[in-house]
Amino acid sequence: MALVRRADPRDLAVPGVADESRAASRGRLRRWLPVGIGLFMAVIMIVVATAAPLIAPLSPSAQFADSVLKGPGAIERHLLGTDEFGRDILSRIIWGARVSLEVGLASVLFAFVFGVPLGIVAGVCGGRIEMLIMRCADMLMAFPTLLLALIIVAALGGSLINEILAIGVALTPNFLRLARSLTLTIREQDYIVAARALGSGQLRVMARHVFPNTLYALVVVATLYIATAIRTEASLSFLGLGIPPPTPSWGNILSEGRQYIKCCPWITTFSGLAIMVAVLAFNLVGDALRDLLDPRLKGE
Amino acid sequence: MFQYITRRLLVAIPMLLGAMSIVFFAMRVLPGDPCVAMMGDQATGGALADCSKNLGLDRPLAVQYVDYLWRSVRFDFGNSFRQGYPVSDYITRMFPHTFILVMASAVVAALVGIPIGIVSALKRRNPLIDYPLRIIALLGLSMPVFWLGILLLIVFSLRLDLFPLIGGGDLDGVLSMIRSGEMFTEPRDFVAGVGDVLHHLALPALALGFTLAATVSRLSRSAMLEVISQDYIRTARAKGQRERHVVYKHALRNMMVPLLTIIGIFVAIALTGTVLTETVFTRPGLGKMLVDAIGARDYPLAQGAITIFTMIIIVVNLAVDMLYAVVDPRITYR
Repeated sequence: MALVRRADPRDLAVPGVADESRAASRGRLRRWLPVGIGLFMAVIMIVVATAAPLIAPLSPSAQFADSVLKGPGAIERHLLGTDEFGRDILSRIIWGARVSLEVGLASVLFAFVFGVPLGIVAGVCGGRIEMLIMRCADMLMAFPTLLLALIIVAALGGSLINEILAIGVALTPNFLRLARSLTLTIREQDYIVAARALGSGQLRVMARHVFPNTLYALVVVATLYIATAIRTEASLSFLGLGIPPPTPSWGNILSEGRQYIKCCPWITTFSGLAIMVAVLAFNLVGDALRDLLDPRLKGE
Repeated sequence: MFQYITRRLLVAIPMLLGAMSIVFFAMRVLPGDPCVAMMGDQATGGALADCSKNLGLDRPLAVQYVDYLWRSVRFDFGNSFRQGYPVSDYITRMFPHTFILVMASAVVAALVGIPIGIVSALKRRNPLIDYPLRIIALLGLSMPVFWLGILLLIVFSLRLDLFPLIGGGDLDGVLSMIRSGEMFTEPRDFVAGVGDVLHHLALPALALGFTLAATVSRLSRSAMLEVISQDYIRTARAKGQRERHVVYKHALRNMMVPLLTIIGIFVAIALTGTVLTETVFTRPGLGKMLVDAIGARDYPLAQGAITIFTMIIIVVNLAVDMLYAVVDPRITYR
């Protein structure tokens, strides 16, 4: 075995600026790639949902007596097959995206609008107000999201608005608690003390100084809760407590298809896939953004 | 320690009371009169009034509320509107089915989730290992349990015919054999009964377990990351210990403490999961009982099921808090 090997020009190269910048860009790519993929999927879902009337090849409620329970591609006009009424699965899934997205976005907005101000008030005011608000939140937190949404939707009846309300209420304590814990750290900052010293009132401190500083983290978490809301909506519809048929939602397409899994598994397979892709998209974005913001994972 | 436990107990009581109040009032605004649901649209006004009186629905709401709270404390949730049996009997009968499902899925989740979480944390600088593991975790987190359940049914029950399509096996029979001591006199029957129950349990536990494994793996990943950045790990490495020794002797043991909190979150997610899993697999259990009760407007039954769910979650969280205080003595001084 030769003890001396021939000199390699690479041995002489000093790790320099070029290597470092390459490593940094690789690191950036690693961090931003999941956000990119997630955003891409989420944007596609939003486009599909908003442009459903233009994209869907057929009406979601049109019944074709000659093509009942036909498999994907069996009839040219039904790319993903049909259900028990001869309705086009692809069109129903495209229209179903609307329901999922509407419920996902609106319920998170609801939770944000009610939870965040209450959380900030609890954090800034402290004392009895904080105790009262937090105990109410704890009561709601005793229920898992789906269970609370299930109780509310059972009480109010299944409709789009009630589903948004139910999931929104179920998610509110999560935003409340996060906003409060963020406020507790922010209220000790020098700029808050300075704002108070300059004569700002409680309301001004909350609205102008605390709220904008909580926003960054809250928006990231909101992205993750959109995924939770979409999954909860699908679960409610699957249990028959969501939007009543014939309005298509991914959960109720899957629930209806359950009776036909023996002969026609495509109904449940495609609708379930749609739910998973949508949830995955928002999970990817939220997750990656959270990792980017988590100081513990920075520089990994 | 005693002070801490008392304080936690005092916090849990109003929480439980509040949660039960939410359940009670939500059930009272359920659309549709339960008497109409029971007797049909053709029932006369007199018959409906009699029914309301029998069910105690004609009493003032405040009286019904206090009565409900008092009875709930004694595990008396009244009688099911539709079947007429006491709700507590129903719950006692259904509880073992849900319990074994949660336990079996916990085993699946722990066996899959904890190793994935640990490896993913330790190999976080190796994208070839960390990335696929994180993608699996993300898929598990995004995959609805009812969809995974249906896919498993399609492949393993319908196509391969390896597992039963519906039902939960004769768990009642197995339990009565245990109670009567028949398990010793008729061991063959007992083993066959247990086998049947496990056969019915496999797919639901796999479906629920896999979706739970995602949560477990993420929590154990962050628990491991937390531990691995501690000074004592650096000290252990500085002493020249082998990586395997550092992981098994120092990191893994300390990771278990933060991992304890998982149990609380886990039970909450698992119980919610049973509602969907039991519905997909048409398995008897508290979750399916709840969905059926809501569908049938049987509100003593629905109320009982939700109250039990909430009680379990609150009690488990309380127990975890106490366990945490026992394992980590610093907690009590906070």
